[in-house]
Amino acid sequence: MTTGQLDKMRLELRRGVLVLAVLASLKQPLYGYSLRKQLRDGGIDIDEGTLYPLIRRLAEQGLLDSEWQQAEGRERRYYQISAMGADLLAQLSDEWQQLNGALSKLLAKNTEETEL
Amino acid sequence: MNLVERYIAAVQRELPDEKREEIGRELSANIMDQLDALREQQGSLDKEQTVALLKKMGHPRAVAQQFVPPQPLICLGYMALYKYTLFMVFGILFLLQIAGSTVDWLSSSQMGLFLYLKSVANGFLEDAIFAFSAITLGFWVMSQQQPLQQDTYERNWQPEQLPDAGPGWQHISLQDVFTDLATYLFLLVIIWYPLWLTPEQLANSRLVFNDTFYEFLRWASPLAVLGIVFSMFQLRYRFWNRAMLGAGIALNSLFVLVILLLAANGPFLQENIEQWRGVFEPGQLERSVLITLLIIGMFPLWEVGRDLIRFRKLR
Repeated sequence: MTTGQLDKMRLELRRGVLVLAVLASLKQPLYGYSLRKQLRDGGIDIDEGTLYPLIRRLAEQGLLDSEWQQAEGRERRYYQISAMGADLLAQLSDEWQQLNGALSKLLAKNTEETEL
Repeated sequence: MNLVERYIAAVQRELPDEKREEIGRELSANIMDQLDALREQQGSLDKEQTVALLKKMGHPRAVAQQFVPPQPLICLGYMALYKYTLFMVFGILFLLQIAGSTVDWLSSSQMGLFLYLKSVANGFLEDAIFAFSAITLGFWVMSQQQPLQQDTYERNWQPEQLPDAGPGWQHISLQDVFTDLATYLFLLVIIWYPLWLTPEQLANSRLVFNDTFYEFLRWASPLAVLGIVFSMFQLRYRFWNRAMLGAGIALNSLFVLVILLLAANGPFLQENIEQWRGVFEPGQLERSVLITLLIIGMFPLWEVGRDLIRFRKLR
């Protein structure tokens, strides 16, 4: 598999999970750059070209609330998870736990077979 | 700062009017935060670092497309119907053009084969460009207004209504149907040429069949009508089954029979043809018509053979 193919597959794998990560990170209000920094500190590095459009889309869908605020002499748009977003996060978290559990078993089985 | 403003302006130019201001405002805040972070890390900020940051953000058009992904002109749900409509309309326009150009060809003594083909191609292209624009515009409007209508279409289907699984040839392509229709229409226009021409055009007509031969030829017209009906039926049920193959074999066998009978009933042309005097000998022309008829007869004969093999395979 070429690096390009691997990058593409990795991107597809991460795409769905990013929504979950963003919703889970926005329990307190954050602006774009601080959200990106928090995710990166948590081990999820998203480039700004993906993150900023994603949070805008989530806000347009009513999953995030947003507000422009003046801070440090500059205006910033702060985002926070909405009630609808919180409901979705709970459902997606359950889904993720189930999927992760099933996948972990499959991957463990696959590793055992490879070792044998 | 000037660079950042230029960058944001370039992104905004790629955005729809209603989103320009808000996305520009947000993008500006995000870039400023990144520049501040860079300044904190490095102690100062020069032009090269700003340039590097903007390069990393991506081309303004790419950034704009990430915020507002480009929408296809026609939504994917309509794409199959759009292509089908285009093919059908192009097919009908092609048939109309064949009919129109054939009448022109029959009524003009100046129009040779090359000019006839040019007339078909020119007329068809002119109509097809207009049809393509009109259909695309119509589907664009539909996509803008009811992009989710495909759901209903995809829900209202029954597995029992699907045709039998079979070899690829069982599916009748639209191209084949319209080729057959064009052939039958061409035949009808040729056979009934006095109906389409004015007396002046008739006087200049290039068709100079012998009266007996022409009378016999007219008796073949129901077969062409039958062929058109059969092709129309194929447009509705585009799948070969034994009944359809049987009908196709019968129709093509009748065509072969009629063509052989026509070939056996010469002379084909009137004597003393003014236009061709000094160019062709009457005997040469008669032989050419006979050979042409036999070649034409090969096509339905080949289809009879092909369909007989397919008929046996479907047992």
